[in-house]
Amino acid sequence: MSEPTPQMLTEVLSSVLEEAAFFMIEPEPVPPAYDADVFSATIDFEAVRGGQLRLTASRNLARNLAANMLGIDPADPEADEQGRNALGEILNVLGGAFITRHFGTKVPFQLGLPAVADEPPSERRATCAAAVRVDTGDLVVLELDLEPGR
Amino acid sequence: MALQLLVVDDSPVTRKMVRRAIGLCGLEISEVHEAANGAEALERLAATPVDLVLADVNMPVMNGMEFVKRMAADPALSRIPVVIVATPMSEDRVEEILDNGARAFLTKPFRPESLRDLVLEILGPQGAGHV
Repeated sequence: MSEPTPQMLTEVLSSVLEEAAFFMIEPEPVPPAYDADVFSATIDFEAVRGGQLRLTASRNLARNLAANMLGIDPADPEADEQGRNALGEILNVLGGAFITRHFGTKVPFQLGLPAVADEPPSERRATCAAAVRVDTGDLVVLELDLEPGR
Repeated sequence: MALQLLVVDDSPVTRKMVRRAIGLCGLEISEVHEAANGAEALERLAATPVDLVLADVNMPVMNGMEFVKRMAADPALSRIPVVIVATPMSEDRVEEILDNGARAFLTKPFRPESLRDLVLEILGPQGAGHV
């Protein structure tokens, strides 16, 4: 099985943000460091190889993500309240999309529950990563840690 | 006949998204109930039977697979169709869920029309209160 590539990760991230959150997407280089004021969501998975996906984005992105997913105005207080949940849910969808794209649908797999933190990840150690800018101007970074091949 | 539905998902955002899709799908709905996991859903169903359940798989406390099994094993609940609304899964996993009693599988993200077509297929135009 080939190794996942940043190109593949970008395609998965773009299609999920377009289809599930109705954003317009522009691929961007992965930034060298995280911004301080971000949410970061993680989800573990176990398939042929285990690993973790991490999604990092600004609070403004999370607010707009919730607004798009719920069909409400980004200025609605509910969009702000649901931003963290929306980020976790979009990572859940990303997890399923990545695994079936990379490992196929014939391989059994388990996806964990998403966890969202109010701070950037403590370290950067991704197998590969992708970043896109959405039409609100916010950057979204998706990182993948994959266990070594067995 | 207006439908009563139960949406089972641990994510409040997803429950609201599914509610939104239900509202846009063109079916006559009288009420949409919510539960955050399978155990909560079973408690709610004991008090308020519904026409159809839309349930996630990946949930804490009681996941969708266990929920579907409990529904199928309970004579009072086994007549209520359960549609699994979840992220993509392996073919074997989908087959296992359907074998255990779920009536259909709808992959997130989905369009309101897909939900409408599925409900019409399961309940029929009369039962689904199609308007």
